[in-house]
Parts: sequence; structure tokens; C-alpha cells
Amino acid sequence: MGALTKPVILLVTVYLFLKFVVPNIPGSAPLPASLIFLYLMLVTAGIVIFFTMSSESKEAFWGPIQRFLTGENLGALSSARYAVLIVFPLLVGWQTFGSTAVSDAPPAENRTIHPAPPGEYTGLSNPVSKTPENIMQGKGFYAAFCSPCHGGNFDGKGPAARGFNPPPANFADPTTIAMLQESYLFWRIKKGGVGLPIEGMPWKSAMPRWEVELPDEWIWKIIMGEYDGAHQSPRTWE
Amino acid sequence: MRRVTERHRPGFWIGAAGAMVALLSAGVTPGFAQQSVAVRAVLAKGALPTDDPNAAIWDTAPQASFPMSPQVHWQNRIQEVTVKDVKVRALHDGNQVAFLLEYADPTEDPDDAAALEFMVGDKKAHFAHGQPMMQVEGGPVNIWYWKNKDKKGVDMNAMGFGTLKVQPHQDVKASGAFSSGTWKIVFSRPLATEHAEEDTQIIPGNFINVAFAVWDGRKDGSGELVEKGSQKAVSSWWYFRAEPPPDYSPYLYAVLAVGLAVGFQFVLIRKLKKGQEA
Repeated sequence: MGALTKPVILLVTVYLFLKFVVPNIPGSAPLPASLIFLYLMLVTAGIVIFFTMSSESKEAFWGPIQRFLTGENLGALSSARYAVLIVFPLLVGWQTFGSTAVSDAPPAENRTIHPAPPGEYTGLSNPVSKTPENIMQGKGFYAAFCSPCHGGNFDGKGPAARGFNPPPANFADPTTIAMLQESYLFWRIKKGGVGLPIEGMPWKSAMPRWEVELPDEWIWKIIMGEYDGAHQSPRTWE
Repeated sequence: MRRVTERHRPGFWIGAAGAMVALLSAGVTPGFAQQSVAVRAVLAKGALPTDDPNAAIWDTAPQASFPMSPQVHWQNRIQEVTVKDVKVRALHDGNQVAFLLEYADPTEDPDDAAALEFMVGDKKAHFAHGQPMMQVEGGPVNIWYWKNKDKKGVDMNAMGFGTLKVQPHQDVKASGAFSSGTWKIVFSRPLATEHAEEDTQIIPGNFINVAFAVWDGRKDGSGELVEKGSQKAVSSWWYFRAEPPPDYSPYLYAVLAVGLAVGFQFVLIRKLKKGQEA
């Protein structure tokens, strides 16, 4: 099996490199499984081309594979041969079943949680000065209008939250208001669920369109109260 | 010439066991149904119980459970409601569909009411009464409504709060039964109707959106209804599907594919063996 050892080591090394080393290179990201599969296919094609360039290397490469398949002088490996001969047809059957059976799962939903706001709502700064009184007042408005869903503890677990899908945002979670600017919150509170673009699936959001009920100044104060209460600070450009 | 005469070499069984372990660990296990993302109407084996909430056949339909919230999206909102969950079953017979809504309510009141809501056509509709959306052109919602004192189903449409309209053509039937703190309400309608712009059309095999609403018709100390109009318990959009007739062809294709793969292996190995002998 000598000639097969090197290609196998090469494939395993390439896989480990793509899977575990590449994601750790600064500025990189984990590769999708389909891309890793494509790279491994390319490596395999390269190996086959390399070994079929001369008749000696061809025999050294294909010989062990042929002997494995025909079961000639295999000894201890004969179990592995039977395993391959049984697994291969079953995998083909499974693949066929998977591609012909109609899925009975509901359609998958890819909802963008923080879609881009309209241009007029980017970069607005909070016109209300950040005084303890204003923060206090913002928290009062929050308690009256927002806490039934977003929770008295700013955790998205208010008494009215349980039936809503998507669930109300948890402001204490570092992936919500902590990574957003105040102007983004201003847009989301003012326009509510029905103001979302299509990728935000506006038809599912229960968030009220507060512009019809609350003056802008109250909304800016609510934003200050929210950040303060959830112990987060707005994202800035610095 | 070399001949393999042994039928069951030990290696065969070790290989077969290894193959099974490999397949199982590769995740080839049956998928489990997700819990209450969808209501599934199974094909009824018998008459559809269109006006009997207590029919025994309902036990053959899988039950889904959905959490409810007070309606807060639009004024007049409400912050607390009686009904916290609805349990839903559905059956169809290829012509008609029947839904059974079940929920806990401590008292039977004349104004107790419940509704199903669907999107109509291809346009998305906001779950709160089909409220207009700003960046997406929405469609109407189709509402099937039942109220205890009216003892009938009402087929309606809306495109936002304040636009509720009873249809000129009524296709929905409904009836309820109250017993020891539980309401059971049956809604039924033909799967397809002649009014595709107003009525949701149910095609077996296709998923559509469904939402639920419930009003507890109790009155407060001053004789005012506590839950009325937009002040109600609501659910988000979930999915509904009328199950299509069973299709066994994928199993047949899979068996054929296994046979072909075994045949391919057989021919390949025979050819390789002949090549070695030559």
C-alpha cells in the first residue's frame, strides 16, 4: 500500500489545514464545508493526474486499489474491503433517497436581524443631552412602553413576549444594541416592525410603529434609558 | 485459477458491522419532527368532523401548540390576556379541511371568540391584521372568525387594523364546545374556493402561513368587555400544510440505486479479476 500512503497523508493534511489552520489566519474565516470538499476534489484530481503520468507510477497507484477491490492477498484488510463494498451501495441509495424525497420540513427562513437602515437614519446623533434626569425619564418611558415585551431587566423576557417569533430583542446581549448606533435604534423604534426591509421579514415583527404615538424627543430619551439600563454603550465610529 | 469458495468469511461480518457503524455515525438517522412550527392536516380516515369538536377522529391528527401574546403592535393594545397557548389539530379529506382549536379559559362567556388568519395569494401580509408595511408591498389576510353567541363561522378580509370586512361569499363553517374550562372550536372550509383574491387556497403538500387569535369574553366590574376588537391574544405566523397522499417512489428509487451500485461493483471487480488473471 506504499504508493497510496502519500496521497492519503496529503489529503488528510490539506483537510486539516483548511479546517483548522486557515480559520486562524488573521483576517480569515471558517471555510464552508462545500468549499473544503471542492478543494479536496481538486487535490484528488491532481493526485490522479500525477500518478497516471508514467506507466510505473500508474501501476504503483492503481495496483493497491485493484488488489484491495479484488480482495487478493488482503489478510487483515479484508474486513475493510467488505465494509467498503457494503457502505458504497448504501450511500448511493441514501443519496438517491435524499434527492428524490420531497422535504416535509417547513421552508427555511433566513431573516436578517439588523438590516441596513434607510439613508436618512444613518449617523444621526442624539439631540437630547445625557443628563441623569433625561436618562431617568427615558427609563420611565421604557417601563411604560417597551418593558411589556423587552422586559424590566432589558433581557427581552417581558410578560407579553412569549408568543412572538422573532422574540423581542435582548438589550443585555452584546450582539444587539451594543453593536448598533443610536440612530439605528431611533429608526427601529420610530418605524417598528412594519418599517423593516424585506430581508428583515417585516410581516413577522410585533414591534409597534412608535412614531404614531410618541414624539421624537421621547424616543431619544428611551434610547438613553435603554443603554443605561442594559449596561451597554452605543457603537461609535472611533 | 483462484476460486473463492468460502461463503461467510469472518472478515465479511466484521466489515458489515463496521459499515453499519460508519453509516450511523455519519448521521444517517431519521430526522425528528420539529416541535410546533407547523400544523399538519393529515388525511382523514373517515368522515371529516366539520361540526364536532369532540369527535374521536381528532385523536388521529397530530397536535401542535403555539404560545400566545397580548396584541401590542397597534393601538388599542392590551398588556395581559387570558389565553397563553393554543393547541391546534387539523384534518383534510382532499376536498375539505377542518381545524380544531383548543385552549384553556376558566369561564364560558357569550363573547368568547377565536380566529384563524392566513395570507392570501403570493404577497406577504403582516401578522397583525395585515398591517401595511413601508418597504414591502403586502397583501390582505383572510380571517376565519367564530364567536360563541353567534354559533357560526365568518369569512373575512383585512389589510390593516380598521379595515376588517365580511366577505359577500361565506365559505367557512365553525362551531365550539365548552367543557370544564376548555374551549374546543372547529373551523372548516373547502381546500380551494373560487375567490383566490380573498380566500387562502390550500394545496396539499404546500406550506402556507397561519396565525391564531383568541378573545376571552369576560366582563370587568363595570360590565365592560376586557378583551375586544384589537385587544386580544395573538400568535405569530406559523406554518400549515395539508399533507399530500403518501409517495413511496423515493424508497423504490433508493432500492434501484442500491441494486445498480451493487451491480456496478460486481462488474468492476469481475473485470479487475479477469485483468489480473490475464
